[in-house]
Amino acid sequence: MTNKQWISLLAPLVLGLAGCGGGGGGNSEPPPPTPPPPITKAEAVQFLNQATFGPTDADIENVIAVRHESWIDNQLARAPSLQLPHVQSIAPPQFQFQLQTDRIDIWFRNALNGNDQLRQRVAFALSEIMVVSHLGALNNAPYALADYYDVLARNAFGNYRDLLEEVTLHPAMGVYLSMLGNQKPNAALNIRPDENYARELMQLFSIGLVELETDGSIRLDAQNQPIPTYDQAIIEGFAHVFTGWTWAGSPNFPQARGTQQNQVVPMELWEDYHDSGAKLLLNDVVLPAGQGGEQDLAAALDNIFQHPNVGPFIAIRLIQRLVTSNPSPGYIRRVAETFNDNGFGTRGDLGAVVKAILLDPEARPAMPMEIDGKLKEPIVRVTQLWKAYNATSNSGRYPLLAAYILFGQGPLQSPSVFNFFSPFYAPPGEISNSSLVAPELGIATEYQNTVLTNFFFGQVFGLNQTNENRQDDDVYIDFSEEMAIAADIDALISMVAEKLLGGQISDPLRNEIAGMLERIPETDTALRAAEAIYFVVTSPEYAYQR
Amino acid sequence: MKTLNRRDFLRTSGAAAVMAATPGLSYSQVVGGGGDFDDYRALVCVFLFGGNDSYNMLVPRSGAEYTAYANSRQNLAIAANDLLPITTPGLGAREFGLHPSMPGLQGLFEAGNAAFVANVGPLVEPTTRDDFLNGSVALPPQLFSHNDQQDQWTSLRGNTQSKTGWAGRMADLIRSGVAEQQMATNASLFGANLMQAADDTIAYVMGPGGPVQFNGFSLDPDSILFEQRAAFLRVLNADYSSVYERGFTDVQRRAVEAADTVTAAIDSAPPINAVFPQGQLGLQLQTVARLIAVRDQLQMKRQIFFVAAGGFDSHDDQNQDQPGLLGGISEAISAFHAATVELGMADNVTTFTQSDFGRTLTSNGDGTDHAWGGNQLVVGGSVAGQQILGNYPSLQIGGPEDVGGGRFIPSTSADQYAATLAKWFGIPDVDLDAVAPNLSNFAQRDLGFMIA
Repeated sequence: MTNKQWISLLAPLVLGLAGCGGGGGGNSEPPPPTPPPPITKAEAVQFLNQATFGPTDADIENVIAVRHESWIDNQLARAPSLQLPHVQSIAPPQFQFQLQTDRIDIWFRNALNGNDQLRQRVAFALSEIMVVSHLGALNNAPYALADYYDVLARNAFGNYRDLLEEVTLHPAMGVYLSMLGNQKPNAALNIRPDENYARELMQLFSIGLVELETDGSIRLDAQNQPIPTYDQAIIEGFAHVFTGWTWAGSPNFPQARGTQQNQVVPMELWEDYHDSGAKLLLNDVVLPAGQGGEQDLAAALDNIFQHPNVGPFIAIRLIQRLVTSNPSPGYIRRVAETFNDNGFGTRGDLGAVVKAILLDPEARPAMPMEIDGKLKEPIVRVTQLWKAYNATSNSGRYPLLAAYILFGQGPLQSPSVFNFFSPFYAPPGEISNSSLVAPELGIATEYQNTVLTNFFFGQVFGLNQTNENRQDDDVYIDFSEEMAIAADIDALISMVAEKLLGGQISDPLRNEIAGMLERIPETDTALRAAEAIYFVVTSPEYAYQR
Repeated sequence: MKTLNRRDFLRTSGAAAVMAATPGLSYSQVVGGGGDFDDYRALVCVFLFGGNDSYNMLVPRSGAEYTAYANSRQNLAIAANDLLPITTPGLGAREFGLHPSMPGLQGLFEAGNAAFVANVGPLVEPTTRDDFLNGSVALPPQLFSHNDQQDQWTSLRGNTQSKTGWAGRMADLIRSGVAEQQMATNASLFGANLMQAADDTIAYVMGPGGPVQFNGFSLDPDSILFEQRAAFLRVLNADYSSVYERGFTDVQRRAVEAADTVTAAIDSAPPINAVFPQGQLGLQLQTVARLIAVRDQLQMKRQIFFVAAGGFDSHDDQNQDQPGLLGGISEAISAFHAATVELGMADNVTTFTQSDFGRTLTSNGDGTDHAWGGNQLVVGGSVAGQQILGNYPSLQIGGPEDVGGGRFIPSTSADQYAATLAKWFGIPDVDLDAVAPNLSNFAQRDLGFMIA
């Protein structure tokens, strides 16, 4: 067997400048800049695997025609495909939780068909940082979850400070991390403010546990120990800030209740339940007593937003979700610096951050190394298959409420605020021993991999366009193009490889598929097509995002 | 040449009989120390994710101790006469009770099959309140943070960067003595975890109901699906140039190979009469019981199972949620113990809890926050039962162990807890410090809750 052949994915971005400026001699006009080489299909596919839920022919042609930056600029300008209008358009069922299926349905519709692919992909990444989940109390708040996701989609290219505030005041987050109903202390009853949101906001959504350099490396003190970003006293300071908020439009604070209407409206402040004392924040900032809940909140979120950790913290997490598990310090620094200043003096411009991530040379290395790229998230493996094979159902729905069971993850279906996997997860063995991480491998267990492999088996062999016994809601793929050429084994494999692997298929995989296809009668074109797709979609090289 | 047809593919792959003949997969390496074991022992870790409020699980039920508890806990306190009384001959006049949702556990305790270790948690060295406030001792980093303290409990790494867990290190230590095992020493029914991570052995992750088999593979050499399986494995065994593909193929290869062996074995398990409660924990423990039932078939001598339940992060609605949470533990562990009795394995199986941390004695109105020390439960026929070991603290806010808000400094370390279990498991005393790296900082190497 041969090693998988790597092809050079992109000529160096910086072309021969030394040659132009230096020793050419003579005094002629400098030559016109060399135009960049054309973008190959493989390069376009690689880019779209990072920036969308799966490449389509139209997107590939578009990227090749306009190049990466223009494609991104165009995407940044697109309006968000939303969830809430769809969920609200469904007649209220007997139990609200039944609408969770419709929420998942619209997530898939937007992921598969939305023309704001980059926004949807970034919103999903944000939903894995600022986590809320329908598994728990929010099962009965589908409108809140749909609206929360819309907040992420609307702010995906907006300012992080605005996002932080909308997330903080969203009732979905209020319920999930118990800021909703949190009230000022009562010493007589040993009651003090709930620390849940204060802690996770800092640990998971913004700055993390230890001080970082701009390049993401951990700062060490004189004893070579990491420096905590906050202590218990600061947690308590923020916990006091986040008091006094509950469901909007309530008659009073203690008896506030969620309704279909106030699920999608920011929480409201009841000053009487807000702690009026002074509050210790990050970096020795102390909020003065008595300035009121709104001012406390604004100042506290500013305090977090201005912390130097936010840039590298968000940079690492978004790079990991979109491009690579192990970005170099330089890559992190370039993106973090863009977070710190978008070039026009603005801090927190997420659109600029996303653009910096996707246009960085490290997102498209000329010479790929073995730590470049990442394992695809399971749900992205599914959407890429579905987009490549025009998956739909007779009803037009994608009602995969069990996504989190079938794939190990689903939209707003995390088992806890710690997401489906940790950004620090390193499986024992080569990756851990090399001090690398592979977050997605945290849910690629023997069990979950088998369940997902079996899902693909059922999808490809069972739920395809040849199956006449499909139920209305069964999502099926269409491989009629493959069937039409199935007599030609080589052409069939190449077609599948074009659709799922950007045309780059390793020799071992091609040979094994060819060996299996030879066992299938030429006339059984559906089985041949299914067999080829099954082997590609379950292959390590498909699971890998270059 | 065999040919495929659609029926082959649509046929479900339940051919367990064929698989029983398959050569098994031995994860163990053939290097390292340790000797053969002449008996079977299993440790079952029940991890309570989120931080169990264990000062409402095991509660003083009379006198000044109850008053201190009730004053601290206010609206989250359990009424004294609602507590299920337990008898603690070793504790003189002190009286304790269990949360009213735990009658099963009460029965286990009274029968001498359960013990508690009180106010136990991650420590690097013995720590007093003054030590804590003065910063004069080394502390586990990031106290009160969920994932960090889960990692402390499962790795016992203190403030080092160790990447292995204490169950993983045990499996490494005994690997030559269990080389015949057809399944990894460490098995998880609740996903990948740090506790079972190791340098030389690999944990096997199955589902809550056991392994799942791959559809469309057969071990019958006459079946075309045998070729399918072989081709799939050859793809996995190809060379890959990225670490991510290699990491993925490692898991996938183990999945293909172990699913058949373990499924074949578990399918032959005798029926178990013990009735397990609905829910994730019950299902996981039922699966563990079935695996223990087929231990001989899999040539197992030593096993460590990781099972878990979630939802213990009771910041909100604690009074509503706690009965279900604690009742769930009680029912599932009681059923599991009954199953081990049924299998004649009660003395060979020890179940124990771990959790992120205990919770604050103060309330936030309707719930509690992250704290530090807490009470853990040990169950089994080899447990020196009807005991509360360690020092159950006075539950007074501002008491000698309180670092603020009713967060108690552990008086017993998680290292001591783990080492006591490890010793029973068969780890020689000389190796206990490899299992529990900070054990030597504490005087008592064995907490005494296991009968040797």
